[in-house]
Formats: sequence, C-alpha cells, structure tokens
Amino acid sequence: MIAISGQEISKTYGYYQVLREVNLEVGCGECYALFGPNGAGKTTLLRILATLQRPTTGRFEILGRDGVKERDTVRATLLLLAHGCHLYEDLNAWENVQFALALRGLSLAQRQVKAVLDRVAIGAFADMKVRFFSAGMKKRLALAKAMLAQPKVLLLDEPFSTLDKAGIEILKQFILETLARGGGVLMATHNQEKAAEVAKRAGVLSHGALKPVPLQDLKTHDFS
Amino acid sequence: MNKVIRRIQRYQGWFGAGAAGCLLVGLYLGLIASPPDYYQGEVVRIMYIHVPLAHTSLLAYTVLFGGSVWYLWKRDPLVDNMCHAAAGLSAVFTSLALFTGMIWGKPTWNTWWTWDARLTSFTVLLLILIGYLMLRTFIDDPEREARFAAVVAIIGFVDLPIVHFSVEWWRTLHQPQSFSLRGVSISSDLLFPLIMMSIGMSLLFTYMLLVRTQMLYLTNLLHAKKGRLLGQFHLSKADS
Amino acid sequence: MTFLKVIRWMVWKDLISEVRSRETISSMFFFALIVILVFSFSFSMDQQAARELIAGIIWVAFVFTGIIGLGRSFSVELQNDCLEFLQMSPASKGAMYLGKVMANLIFMLTVEIILFPMFVIFFNLDVIEEIHILLLIFFLATFGLSAVGTLFSALTVQIRAREVMLPILLLPLVVPVMIAAVEATKGALNGDPLAGYWQWLELLAIFNVVFTVVSFWMFEFVMDS
Repeated sequence: MIAISGQEISKTYGYYQVLREVNLEVGCGECYALFGPNGAGKTTLLRILATLQRPTTGRFEILGRDGVKERDTVRATLLLLAHGCHLYEDLNAWENVQFALALRGLSLAQRQVKAVLDRVAIGAFADMKVRFFSAGMKKRLALAKAMLAQPKVLLLDEPFSTLDKAGIEILKQFILETLARGGGVLMATHNQEKAAEVAKRAGVLSHGALKPVPLQDLKTHDFS
Repeated sequence: MNKVIRRIQRYQGWFGAGAAGCLLVGLYLGLIASPPDYYQGEVVRIMYIHVPLAHTSLLAYTVLFGGSVWYLWKRDPLVDNMCHAAAGLSAVFTSLALFTGMIWGKPTWNTWWTWDARLTSFTVLLLILIGYLMLRTFIDDPEREARFAAVVAIIGFVDLPIVHFSVEWWRTLHQPQSFSLRGVSISSDLLFPLIMMSIGMSLLFTYMLLVRTQMLYLTNLLHAKKGRLLGQFHLSKADS
Repeated sequence: MTFLKVIRWMVWKDLISEVRSRETISSMFFFALIVILVFSFSFSMDQQAARELIAGIIWVAFVFTGIIGLGRSFSVELQNDCLEFLQMSPASKGAMYLGKVMANLIFMLTVEIILFPMFVIFFNLDVIEEIHILLLIFFLATFGLSAVGTLFSALTVQIRAREVMLPILLLPLVVPVMIAAVEATKGALNGDPLAGYWQWLELLAIFNVVFTVVSFWMFEFVMDS
C-alpha cells in the first residue's frame, strides 16, 4: 500500500504559485526526504498533505484515502510535527499529552505515557508548565506526543532543528520504528547528513517544482 | 476559458437592454405620466427610485446568501466571484436606498433620520456588508478568503430577520409607528410604474452582477497566468 | 460519546489554563471597571438619569468586555500553533465549538457576576427582588454573545487586522441581543411585571437556538480548509 500519494498538487496565492504540479509517492515503510531552499514550498506541501490547506488543483491520498473527501479518516492516521510544537503554555507536560491524545480519541495507561516521557528525558519535568520549557524541551515533548499517537503516516517539518544530539538520536529511532511498523515518513529538512541516514529516497523542491535526486548525491551536493 | 463565462458573455447584453427598457418606461411613467400623491404631492416620486433600490439590495443579498451556501458546498471559485460581485452591488444598492430614503424623509417626516425599523435594519445590513467587504481584503489565501466570506454572508443573512423583528418591537415600545408606510394603500396608477422600476432595477442588478463576476474571474485568471509565467521564468533561470 | 468527551476536554483545557494564568478574566474585569468609570464621568448621573440609562450602560460594558474575552479565546491558540493542532485533529469540530462556547460563557458570566455588584453600588440600584430574573437575562444574552462571538473569534484570528475585525463583524450581528438584553434588564430593574418584558427573553432564546445551530455548522468551514 502507498502511504502518501500526491498527484499534480498545485497551490496558488493570487498570482504567486507556490507549488506546481507536484507528483509524489511515499510507500509504506519508506522515508522520503524533501530538500530545497527557503521559500521553495516545502512547508506548503507538508501543510497540504496534513489537510491544513487545500491544493488549488490536484489531489492526494493518504493510505488510499482521499485527502479532501475523507479528511477525518485521514487525520486519524497522520501526524505533522511542525515548528510550533502544538503545546499549551499553561498546561504542564503531562496535561498537554493527555489533551492531545484525548482529541485523537486515544486513552493510554499512565505507565505508558510515563515511559515515553522518560524516553525523551522530560519525565522529571512532567509537572512543569510548558511556559517554562526551553525550545528543545518543547520539541522533545512534541516528539513524545507523536510517539504515543503512533501515526501510520508521519510528516516532519525541519525535525532536526533545535534538538540536541541525544534528541536527534531519539527522533531517528522514532522514525525507524515508524518505518518498521509499516508507516510512511515524509520529512522536509536542510540536514542532508542526518536525512541520508534514514531516508530511502529524496527530492528537491525548487520554485514549487519537485525533482527526485539520487541518495548518494546527498553526501556531495548541497541542495538548500 | 470557462464555459459559463462564455455563456455569460453571450447573454448579458439582453439583461442590459431589458434593464434599460424597463427603467426608461418606469421613469417616464413614474416621473412624468403618473399623478402626484394626494398627501405628499410631487415628493412621492422619489418612491419610484427608493423602493426599487431597497428591493434590489435585498435581492442582491439573497443572491449573496444562495451563492455562499453553494460555494461552501461545491467550492467553485467562479461562484465565489459571483458572491463577491453580489456583495459589492448589495452594498451600493443599500447605500443608495438609505440615501434616497433620507432625501424622502426630510420633506415628509421633517427629519433626515429616524430609528425606524426598516431604516435601522438597512443600516445593520449595510454594516454587515461593509464588514464582509473589509474581511475580504484582509486575507491572503484566496481559498480561505472565499470560505470565510461565505460564512460571514450566511450568518448575516440569518441575522437580518431577527434584527428586523427586534428593532420593530423596540420601536413599538418607545413610540407608535407614525411614520410607517404600512397601511398606505397604493393606487394602481402608482403601482404599475413602481413594478416596472422594480423589474428594471432587478435586471440592472443582474446585468451588473454578470459583468462584475466576469471581471473578477478574468482578473484572477490573469493573475494566475502571470504567476505561472513568472514561475516558469524563475525555474528556467534556476536550471541554467 | 467521544463528542461529549471532546467538549469536556476543551472546556477543561481552557478553564485550567485560565485558573493558572488568570489573563483573560482579569483583563476583562479591569477593562470593564474602566468602562464603568468612564460612563459615570461622562454622564454625571443623578438617581433619575441612572435609572433610565443603567441598563444600556451595563450591557455596553458587558459586550465590550465580552469582545475582549472572545478575542483572547482563539488568539491564545496561536501560541505554538495550537490552532493548527485543533484543525488537524480528527475530533469533531462541532464539539470543539461547543466546548469553546461554554468556556467563553463561563468566563463572561464570571466577570459579569463580579461586576454587577459594582453597578449596584456605584449607581444605587435596588435589585434584591429581581436578582433571579436578572441572572436569567445575563445567562441568555451572554450565551448569545458567546455563540456568535466564538465563531467570529475563530474566524478573525486567522486573518490580518484581527483585533479590529472581530468587533466590526460581531457588533452589527448582535444588535438583537443588545436590544433584548437592555430592554429586559430595564424592565427587571424597574420592577415591571415579568409579562411586560417576557417577549425579550423569548427573543434571546430564539436567537441563541438559531445561532448555536448555524454557528455549529459554520464552525466546520472556519476551522477546516
């Protein structure tokens, strides 16, 4: 089965064309890395696939479900890990996780939540308001939420930024686990070195057009 | 180009001609041929402009409401262009109706303005439409602009009857409706030109709606084409 | 079942955040205090004038503070892109709407209940006998404000010039609520028989039902792409 399949996705703002007929396929158990300079349309593409925006033309499917017509089914299977960590400042880490899981219709045992919070090394701060978290800690908490939600399709926007070495290692493990579960991962990043360690295929977005690039070029060329 | 647009271009002239015909006949009958009113004298003739304007502004808002529901259902950008056009026209007709109403009010009621139920409802309508048009300028994503505008139009349309009733109750509470036109029977030689003018004004609105919708659609099309060319240019420059 | 759960979680989240930060209620409260002060300076009222004007003053103060609360209701969701999170969530958007309406209703009513004694003291009102009916009026009118206001808060937070656009869009639409609330409050404060202003309560009830249903349906389009 195909995790993400986009057909001729275009997005236009007035006369500014952000995406031009992007075709994209990410299989299950496959990680696709997306490169490109700032403003190339990476985030827009991820937002469209995450059902946050509609494409102007073209269509896409997540696990065989139409991303516009069967939005609610699609939303239950995918998760976008973006810059804003989707955390409420006045709730503590624990409550944030509970709220996020509740909206996904999940209720997990406290033990399980505790284990994951410990894994991303913020178990000790579980009772602290997120307002007092550093950017890296927020990112780790967002990562914990994603781990608990166990999405089948994972969309990552600049996942490696603001994380420290240990954090990146945890993220990498999580990506590999998702792939092992048969999930699909699409990530937009500037970190070619890290991406090469998990990605099976890669592409470059330039002025809204997507071009595939061979993996071995990641070591030698700079695509951003 | 869009098939609908081509059809509009073919038939819009008929609406324009119809509007011109009806309005000319209506104006002649209303302003020259019909007798002056027993109570109001020559002043009553502004009715032939004022009442059709008020009718048409409500017609325009009804079109806006229908179009907004349709847009949310089908998400057709052309329908959104029609809504945008209808809202602008509705705002114009509403302001003209209020303006002519004030001119009419001065000699008959001896005041430019009174918080009569109908005047107040039309003012609220105008405020809603201005809010609608302002909202449209504050959104960058055209898809989101169309969606939000449709929501505002629908909520406003549902609100209008409630506004009207509440203001009417409020008026009857504070002073008897001495100004109301209701109950004044209109004789048939006044009624016929009024109907002519109403039909003419509605046709004029339809004609303007078609032209304006086309204009908005073509502007968007032009922008999109320009953008595509610009993008291709950047792309080819990046490749070389 | 999950529908009710989502409503509960939304209300819980907003209430907990508010209890911890006290940002919304305190800013609403102090704004309202200032409005009361400005009114009493600008009208320099005696007992007689106060009775005529007080219902209007109360509701202008309540509606303006309500707008402050409503504006914050969704602008706090912009921090860390939480709004995006709600939009992407598979949970029912209608449930989120009802949760937000309830949270806003609770905030606004809390402020109104703290403020009302101040009106009573500052303007020498006699309210003991009518207090239950006044509370009913406050509840109905505030619910109406919250029902429409929550929808427009979610809408305006996603556009430019949002602080300006919320009152511009909202105030014309709540004209019926304003009229009904002022007239009913006036009736209650004058000690009129209930039948004299009962129709205004009915109007508020109709407004609330109509706009809860329509906004519930429209919220989907405001939150979804």
